[in-house]
Amino acid sequence: MSEFDVEFIDRSEDDRDARFVVRGVTPAFANGIRRAMIADVPTLSIDELRVIENSSVMFDEMIGLRLGLVPLTTPPGEFEEGETVTLALDVQGPATAYSGDLVSADGMVAPADENVPIIDLKESQRLELEAEAVLDHGKTHAKHQGGVAVGYRHLQTVEVVGDLGEFADDDPQILRGVIEEDGELVPTEEFGNDLRNRYPGKEVRVEDVPGAFVFDVETDGSMSAPELVLEAVDSLYARADELEEAVQL
Amino acid sequence: MMIPVRCFTCGKVVGEHWEEFKQRTKEGDENPADVLDELGVDRPCCRRMLVSHKDLVDIVAPYQ
Repeated sequence: MSEFDVEFIDRSEDDRDARFVVRGVTPAFANGIRRAMIADVPTLSIDELRVIENSSVMFDEMIGLRLGLVPLTTPPGEFEEGETVTLALDVQGPATAYSGDLVSADGMVAPADENVPIIDLKESQRLELEAEAVLDHGKTHAKHQGGVAVGYRHLQTVEVVGDLGEFADDDPQILRGVIEEDGELVPTEEFGNDLRNRYPGKEVRVEDVPGAFVFDVETDGSMSAPELVLEAVDSLYARADELEEAVQL
Repeated sequence: MMIPVRCFTCGKVVGEHWEEFKQRTKEGDENPADVLDELGVDRPCCRRMLVSHKDLVDIVAPYQ
């Protein structure tokens, strides 16, 4: 197992967003991590309902879909694939049923966002149901995806190759991502994504740093971004071990 | 009818921000773009979910 060098660029307070540089990985492995974050890390999500009473304006199936999309906190390693957790919802109108009204039978599992409106209930309408959340992969259904808008770019360097000619075109030099400057990481937003602002009057050449990738990770709240990345890497190693075992004579 | 729970394109949970967005833009008379920035809804795909939404539950309610 090789070591990777990881350096954070920014990280949100709630740990749901993170941007970091990974060095010493191949493009194939970087893409493997990205794909694993989207499709391979299992999360809990409501999959089945037992509706006791639904006199709202929405059909049971529509309520079921909305509840399924609500992210549930999933502590990594605590649940087996296919394991279920029961949640209950009971709201009497006039009121709005929120995701935060879901009551979980397991203390580790709770709606990650509490202000998602499920359905507006009028006078004498009522929604009462029990729901089974199941642990499954993003491959099965997008509601089980832990990562939202996960991506990566090459880390780039900017090299000054000379001065611009006196009558050279003043075209914008747009660059998005993160550049490395004398070992320092500079997000391009700092200079308005335009290299002209950072190197006025200079001719520059942009190059990729080999083996260095800037990951942008955002989770839906089911786990923190660092947990998601670690789970994704673990799942890659687990699959590699599985392959090794399968091909041995 | 109700605000979609997630963004259709990227899957970010946008329903979470709807009530604050609605309250601040309708009653607070704030600029929707600024409110979305503050709520952390950055991508155009998520922003359109909130900007283009209309609650229809009150209109449908009498017919059922």
